[in-house]
Amino acid sequence: MTNESVSSETMTTRTMKGLGASSAGATSGRRGRRPRTGRERRWTRKNTILFIVGVVIALLTIFPLAYMLLSSFKTPADVYGTSVLPKTWTFKNFVYVFTEVPFARYMLNSFLISAIITVVALFFHSMAAYALARLRFKGRETIFLIIFSTLLVSLPVVLIPEFEIVRLLGLLDSYGGLIVPSIFSAFGIFLLRQFYQGLPDELEEAALVDGASYWRIYWSIVLPLSRPIMAALAVFFFLANWNSFVWPLTITSNPNLRVVQVGISTFHQQYASSESYIIAASTVAAIPTLLLFFFFQKQITESIKTSGFK
Amino acid sequence: MTAVNARGATTPPATAGATPPRSNMGKARARREGRAAFLFLLPDSLGLLIFVFIPMLMSIALGFFRLDGFGNLSFIGVANYVRMVHDPQFLQSAGVTAVYLVILVPAVFVVALLLALLVQQRIPFVGAIRTALFAPYVVSLVVVGLMWQFLLADKVGVVNQFLSHVGITGISWLGDPKYTLGTVVVISIWFQMGYYMIIFLSGLQDIPAELYEAARIDGAGAWQRFANITWPLLRPTSLFVLITVTIAVITGGFDLIYILTGGGPAGSTSLLIFYIYQQAFLFGEYGYAAAIGSVLVLVLLIWSAFLFRATKGGRVDDE
Amino acid sequence: MAELTPGGQVTRRGFLLGSAAVAATATAFTLSGCSTKGSAAGRPLQFWQFYAPQTQTAPDLKAQNDWFQKAVGDWNAAHRQKVENVFIPNFTDPSNTRLATAFASGDGPDIFLISPGDFLRYYNGGALLDLAPYMTKEAIADFNPDILATRQVGNGVYGLPMEVEPLAMFYSKPAWEKAHLSEGDIPKTWDEMLDVAKKLTTPSRSGLVFETVPGYFQNFTWYPWMWQGRGDVVDAHQNPSFDSKAVTQALDLFGRSVRTGVAPRTDPAAGDLPGAFAQGYAAMWQSGIWQVAGFRGSQPKFEYGVFPLPTPPGGIPRTVLGGWAWCVNARGRNPEAAARFVVETVGSMSEASVQRIVDWCSVAKSDMPPRKSVDARMKAKGAFDDPTLKYFHDTILPTGRGEPRYPPVVYKAISNAIQQVQTAGGDAAAQARTGNDAIEAFMQTYKGGTLL
Repeated sequence: MTNESVSSETMTTRTMKGLGASSAGATSGRRGRRPRTGRERRWTRKNTILFIVGVVIALLTIFPLAYMLLSSFKTPADVYGTSVLPKTWTFKNFVYVFTEVPFARYMLNSFLISAIITVVALFFHSMAAYALARLRFKGRETIFLIIFSTLLVSLPVVLIPEFEIVRLLGLLDSYGGLIVPSIFSAFGIFLLRQFYQGLPDELEEAALVDGASYWRIYWSIVLPLSRPIMAALAVFFFLANWNSFVWPLTITSNPNLRVVQVGISTFHQQYASSESYIIAASTVAAIPTLLLFFFFQKQITESIKTSGFK
Repeated sequence: MTAVNARGATTPPATAGATPPRSNMGKARARREGRAAFLFLLPDSLGLLIFVFIPMLMSIALGFFRLDGFGNLSFIGVANYVRMVHDPQFLQSAGVTAVYLVILVPAVFVVALLLALLVQQRIPFVGAIRTALFAPYVVSLVVVGLMWQFLLADKVGVVNQFLSHVGITGISWLGDPKYTLGTVVVISIWFQMGYYMIIFLSGLQDIPAELYEAARIDGAGAWQRFANITWPLLRPTSLFVLITVTIAVITGGFDLIYILTGGGPAGSTSLLIFYIYQQAFLFGEYGYAAAIGSVLVLVLLIWSAFLFRATKGGRVDDE
Repeated sequence: MAELTPGGQVTRRGFLLGSAAVAATATAFTLSGCSTKGSAAGRPLQFWQFYAPQTQTAPDLKAQNDWFQKAVGDWNAAHRQKVENVFIPNFTDPSNTRLATAFASGDGPDIFLISPGDFLRYYNGGALLDLAPYMTKEAIADFNPDILATRQVGNGVYGLPMEVEPLAMFYSKPAWEKAHLSEGDIPKTWDEMLDVAKKLTTPSRSGLVFETVPGYFQNFTWYPWMWQGRGDVVDAHQNPSFDSKAVTQALDLFGRSVRTGVAPRTDPAAGDLPGAFAQGYAAMWQSGIWQVAGFRGSQPKFEYGVFPLPTPPGGIPRTVLGGWAWCVNARGRNPEAAARFVVETVGSMSEASVQRIVDWCSVAKSDMPPRKSVDARMKAKGAFDDPTLKYFHDTILPTGRGEPRYPPVVYKAISNAIQQVQTAGGDAAAQARTGNDAIEAFMQTYKGGTLL
């Protein structure tokens, strides 16, 4: 549903930009594509074989996770058992997770932090990538190289300098400290740049001739075209921040700022067995991101760039 | 073949190596373009500078100091680098990392690409299949590690129980140095393949559909279509995946090792990143850890430069 | 620009400025010239630990939380400089980045807990305050000397132990019965132990478990086997003595146990001893007194027993005593007040201080006491009436020696030797030699607190 409306909106924008020829091509490309989609969805022989292969691989892949899910219903004594299914099913682990610590609060913290980082990062990264891929200016390759080089450092060696900087900025033990430094990563810039480089040149030429600003081109043409890759990146960013542990652990003490993964680690005791709580909590923590992925994967594979552009 | 050439012809000059000036590009426009680029780059550049680049330079500088965990600092020149050469643990870790890298990077690349080609097909329930393949990446490594510990437990784990039916017994997947690195590699592939599958998938979406139609009309088979259309046009994505997998394999994976094996048994899974963590946070040898980190940056820089060169920046056109 | 400390070393702040210049962004760092410490005088001192505040209500967790909150509450009621408890998740993980990063950035807690394995790193880094000036002679003498020794350098006392946790051998009575073994089969020597382990080993059960994960904890569990043969890592003159028969046979014990298939290569049940016993995955397991509380919490009905670590031929009974200590950050905001807090709370002869440790070792936990006065009072109130605790107190504790403190390089050399012999089939004598060489090379330039 949403895909549909956004796509047509994109096309309207393109037409308005005076890309008459291209949009006509796009329309025909779409027309040519529709029926094919319908045809290939059917249970042809080829599809049946691929389906079986896919299901087998998928089942093998999720087996350890299914084991985790089932284990979260096991009693603490049963969790090391060799049987895959619980001997007796119990919800106590989940009850424990939500009543013994403010786990909902941890999830809300993680959700807010991850969502803000994801939105801001996508915006900033796509801007930077647009400039690096489509605009010409002196020192472009050098700037890209410097940005790229920041991908190469490993966390343990920059943790302390980064901690110092965040402290100087007065961001220790605050939402700001959890959010701001995590926005900046060269990964998204690099990926989007690779993507934008593949866009056809006529794309902005016509708009520029019409006198559109670079901002308009970015906002109305480039951004809508990058929806599939942005959907993928949104999942990646959200996930990375939802699962982040070392940074939040290192810069916060305030229990109100605790994020999900740090919250889960509070179940870990020095010697006592607490695995069943950790498993239940991790299962709960995985659900939002799995759902997010399930709903976004369609966007990722939806072709907005249609043949007419090429 | 025709398809690729057609595509090559329309590839914008913006992606060519030495950017040739556009014919109609006047000075005013160049200035306008430069100013726009500056503004577009500003927010991210500033943030990266403060939160990543400066810490990175500081850590590179730290490599020439002895810094303990309590802020006591003294300049020691290249002593940290000299120490590396004589440190058997470092050398062992470097060897382990090299083996790990050489197996894992191509494996993740190939598996992720094959999976992407599979789930790109419009087969029934493909959304659920994609989600299942991506699912391992969603769960935090701490609990992933715990699950694999249970599954691979000596004697009683599900995997060993299954193998005992086919007559294989007594293998300690996480406790015998003969098997541990292999085990960790398999778990890493399982964990990462969905992630790179998605990147390949979005790269595949980028390839115009009628190139395939045209090839079909020309009578090209599935392999020919892959070799002549998919593979060359996927090059920007392939380059990206190859580089980021390498970086991720070298600079990441600490948590998995920590949970699964603690670097053991007998150092058989002590990756460099794990060794850096130990030196920094367990031993308080921050200067030494930073020096090892700098070596990794250098290695990755050379490797990336080589890949960029070899693939001309992952560009689609061969000319 | 860089400030120099008396030792001629560039300070951290000086370094910051220097590297900022390297980055050609000195502006961002001139800020670091002004201290952030001054503004903090009125704030409560931070006590970082892993017990409180804690919302989980399991009886032991709640008792430990309440104890810490009350200890701090008692102090705050009577003093202007307040103290607050800060719960640090994953604190006991030795590579926890929270504590390490904070100390490295000069932003460490005012008061914190450490285990002996970490002592020399903190002491040599100048992070520990000497508490002796704040203590009475009587109070210092009240501490069990074996336990206090690993927190002392010269006459200084750099940490006050709050508990003593000895290691012993735990065994599963159901497994014992299934293998038709009786009380009389409890092994006294290493060979007997391996023999019994063989009888207890089945396709699903390991007869004997030694720790398998490399780390401080594995070293900790291995030391008593070395001491039993009168071996040590360094001798009385701080010369390396790792290349010895005692070390070789102790390494070989771990190696033999795996080679003969009686001990596993990975910890059963992910290291959960009560869980592994209940599932029948292990029959004997070398572990600490905390398992008594562990069984009570998760397997209250399970029947298990405890016996002292068996000895080698001609050996002496020996075990190792763990436990955490309270320390004061010498570079904290108000080290003097912090020291007074620590001493008054856990290190004075006052009724309240003694009773507090009694409560910690008998109500909040089931541990052995670090102080003589506490020992007497615990005995009087019947804290050792439980037969297992009585056994720990009367039989195992007297054979104990405090957990050693070694610098990281020495720890790592020992860890490598253990791992090589235990899991990779390495030759014990050769590994002892290799370890000795590494320790010798390190000790030639080592300056710092003595290795104990």
